[in-house]
Amino acid sequence: MTVMNADEIRKLLPHRWPFLLLDRVIELKPGVSGVGIKNVTISEPFFEGHFPTESIMPGVLIVEALAQMTAVVYCTGALQAMREAEQEVAATAEAQLEPAEEIDISSRVGYLVAIRDMKFMKPVVPGDQLLLKVKIGRSVGILSKVNVAAYVGKVCVVEGTLSVSQRP
Amino acid sequence: MLTYQETKEKAEKRRELTQRIKAIIVERLNLDMDPNLITDDQPLFGRGLGLDSIDALELFVVIEDEFGVTIYDDNMEVFGSVNKLADYILENIEE
Repeated sequence: MTVMNADEIRKLLPHRWPFLLLDRVIELKPGVSGVGIKNVTISEPFFEGHFPTESIMPGVLIVEALAQMTAVVYCTGALQAMREAEQEVAATAEAQLEPAEEIDISSRVGYLVAIRDMKFMKPVVPGDQLLLKVKIGRSVGILSKVNVAAYVGKVCVVEGTLSVSQRP
Repeated sequence: MLTYQETKEKAEKRRELTQRIKAIIVERLNLDMDPNLITDDQPLFGRGLGLDSIDALELFVVIEDEFGVTIYDDNMEVFGSVNKLADYILENIEE
């Protein structure tokens, strides 16, 4: 099942090659949780140096992929909240509002502020398909905790917690 | 009026709680210090213990995990010191 394909993801996120690490979104509860896919191939630029004789996807890039999946959940949540607010305003005012200008949602992607208790259980190699699972937890002010995990098949390869901030 | 014995017990319980809070703060925020060096009225943020807003997020979660007490972001003054945190926990803990 595809909720969002690569082209739609590129409309939402500001990341581009070689740093867009999310191929597809297969489950999405805006603002709450989501599951994405990253297919790892030998053609990834980082395998040239990591390592010349043993191809292993750098753990930090798996964290980045999880952060990008988090950004999708966050942005779609923000977008939905904005639309609902607009509809409410339109319904109460019944005014002929100018159609809101296309919001550049990519400019709202927040920042990563903390990486905690990250465990890397198994190396990720070319041919693996990463399942990126993220779930947004407690929020305090503009900060939120996010529980993240990456799977290859049924095996958990990375697990931990991120903290992200909204753009102030 | 509390008897001497009751007062003593109450004080001991209170001390246990503040010790536990200090231990939790040091452990969960990976602070490189002895929990006993934190005083009960020392400010936790800024110049006091040097915590920041990112640590605050962690503290919210930790206090909820450990004591089942939820802190809301409109009463940040709870994090003023270990004593204030202990007061809040005692007031809100489920018996």
